Amino acid sequence: MDHTAAPRALPRAGSGARSLMNALVVILTALVATPAAADQLEAVQQRGTLRWCADQEGGGPFVYPKDDDPSEVTGFEVDLAAQLAAYLKVKPEFVQGQWDKLPDMLRTDKCDIVLNGYEYDDERLDVMEATIPYYVYGLQLMLRKGDPIWKGWDQLKAPPDGQKAKVGVLTGSAAEVTMREVCGEGDVRCTVIAYDGSTDAMREVETGKLDATLQDTPIARFYAPRFPGLAASGEPVAPGYYVIFVKDGELGLRDQLNTALILLNRNGEQQNIYSKYGIWDDQQAELRAVAEMGKFYGQHQATRVEVEVNALPTQEVVTTEVRKRGWEVVTSYGGILLESAGLTVVLAAISFPMAVLIGLLVALGRLYGPAWLRLPLTAYVEFLRGTPLMLQLYFIFFMLPEVGVSIPAFWTGILGLAINYSAYESEIYRAGLQAVPGGQMEAALSLGMTRGQALRKIIVPQAVRIVIPPVVNDFIALFKDTSVVSVVTLVELTKRFSVLSMSTQATVELMLMTAMLYLLMSYPMSLISRRIEARLGGVSA
Amino acid sequence: MITVEGLIKHHGPLQVIKGISFTVEKGNVDAIIGPSGGGKSTFLRCLNGLEPFQGGRVTIGEHSLSPQTHPQRDAALLQRVRQRVGFVFQQFNLFPHLTVLQNLTLAPVTVRGEPEEVARARAEKLLDRVGLLAKKDAYPRDLSGGQQQRVSIARTLVMEPEVILFDEPTSALDPVMAGEVLKVMEDLARGGQTMIVVTHSMSFAREVADRVHVFADGYDVESGPPAEVFGDPQHATTQAFLRLAGRD
Repeated sequence: MDHTAAPRALPRAGSGARSLMNALVVILTALVATPAAADQLEAVQQRGTLRWCADQEGGGPFVYPKDDDPSEVTGFEVDLAAQLAAYLKVKPEFVQGQWDKLPDMLRTDKCDIVLNGYEYDDERLDVMEATIPYYVYGLQLMLRKGDPIWKGWDQLKAPPDGQKAKVGVLTGSAAEVTMREVCGEGDVRCTVIAYDGSTDAMREVETGKLDATLQDTPIARFYAPRFPGLAASGEPVAPGYYVIFVKDGELGLRDQLNTALILLNRNGEQQNIYSKYGIWDDQQAELRAVAEMGKFYGQHQATRVEVEVNALPTQEVVTTEVRKRGWEVVTSYGGILLESAGLTVVLAAISFPMAVLIGLLVALGRLYGPAWLRLPLTAYVEFLRGTPLMLQLYFIFFMLPEVGVSIPAFWTGILGLAINYSAYESEIYRAGLQAVPGGQMEAALSLGMTRGQALRKIIVPQAVRIVIPPVVNDFIALFKDTSVVSVVTLVELTKRFSVLSMSTQATVELMLMTAMLYLLMSYPMSLISRRIEARLGGVSA
Repeated sequence: MITVEGLIKHHGPLQVIKGISFTVEKGNVDAIIGPSGGGKSTFLRCLNGLEPFQGGRVTIGEHSLSPQTHPQRDAALLQRVRQRVGFVFQQFNLFPHLTVLQNLTLAPVTVRGEPEEVARARAEKLLDRVGLLAKKDAYPRDLSGGQQQRVSIARTLVMEPEVILFDEPTSALDPVMAGEVLKVMEDLARGGQTMIVVTHSMSFAREVADRVHVFADGYDVESGPPAEVFGDPQHATTQAFLRLAGRD
């Protein structure tokens, strides 16, 4: 499927973070012994829930916010998960995660299965177990209806003189790889333009900025009604399989899921679900073959299952509504955005005071503490300042469970923000403490105070006043940095914006609303800080 | 009251005090004068432990400071010494985030655990004595330099020290403000307060002090009653210094 969780530009999280992170994962995984494999199937049955990981930012028709209640998810994978859970006689539980981090969530037992358009792929098989396919996808070429020049693959591959088609694809997708081959080295036959969101390219073809786009079939079919100006051209190419992944070695759970998939195929429920989202096509005939043969690449030895033969029940159909626009977007999604803004506020409001307190203690320790304490504290500051926040969050969330420390996502976010910012705050306080004239400490000592009393009553209160502007500055920065916590599955304001914009295509309206919300939250803080500053007054004698 | 024996102090390789012995009797005012860089302020700071020193001994009542006194390990000793020896700084060093009254009551309440009302009553009496009761709720930044220095003297007095060390208390002030401060100090001296005053005010040294010491180049080159030192200086350094100081 799509890789919509493409890295956004994050403050203090450089582009090298990802490869660094991966290296770290490898090293740490090698260091930490793999915990004894508990039987996941038993765990699922005892818990009574099947926790399935997916990223709702991927959009329709996979997993996306419900139109009438954006806090709930819907999609063909949601329906499929419900059926699988029903077969296991447990309840389905959706677990939100960043798409490219889903295997890590599986590994650290934050969910039981990954069910989110993951392609069958040899590299993934090395670290996880795959079920039989639940969907056969292909790459569908889409063009503008009635375009005089671009009518299909033939024109793209052999363009008329002086013409060159512009083709939009999703960054890092199979479509991009295929299209680059077609266009040739250096884009000689056509120009490939990569987009972060799958439907962005579809919109651009409709508006005329692009000439064509190559999309995964589920997306092409699902969103076709929303882009009436587009037409699918020719048959899908380069087919592949979506499979469910379970933890490495969990064959019991995998076999149960395989049996469930075969059953769902035979009794017509699978076709029913896919038809509901408009994504059942001729390619799915292969699923039937897989189910009937009871095997997939020699991986699964299916037992004969007794089923009723396809009696397709009621045909429910999900309509892909026309894109909402303008005020309608505000009324439909204002509520859920506001709710996510609430999480942003809570994260900032809890983590920042912690950061300030830790930062102050670290600064005091470095300036006034015993000599043996200074080196570790300096190391603490340099380490936390010198590594990206995203990496630290990732470490707490995905690495600590390896050594038996499991912290829930919310507290991971709080803790990560607090310790990361404590390093910055400690440097600010160090400067503030040093800005208090030396005569202040001497005067306090001369009056018979201890150093502790002098620090508490004289030095720290003055330092606190001195550093109000930079500290408020950092609070506003942290406020916006809360968006990084989406890597540990929290859906705060920025992530909610991405999710909604992907499934509704109302990007401009949502962006304006999101920006407005951030501004509405951070501007009052600037005002309050100015008030505090005015009230406490300058400190120069 | 305070006895100093053979005090030696280095700043790195530089010897700034080269063996000074010095005694102040209870109720006396000793003034220290001399050219800049002669070790006057450093000497004073050694007496209440703000500066460690490398040789000799300082005795205040039953307490004594030595080169072995450690700023952190002997904090309790230093604290006891400082409660008996007050210090007034050239730059006042009032606490800018506290009101005038809070500047005075903080130490009695924090250090001695006095009830707030008791400390406040005494503080107000002292502010009245230095003529600044009306300013008790003002912040230091709202006061003139002379007023700040008078508050700082009151802040020292509120801890009822047996000796007060003054480190060039009027050097940062213009003559009018200096006059206000010197009047307060004169008043204290008449009241029997033991004081050691490093000063550039020759009139104060001549008229108020019981003894005058001339510090130059790390030595106490000449000392005695003001009439002797000013009237018949024996040492060449003193003669030269007084000739220059007299031109003011």
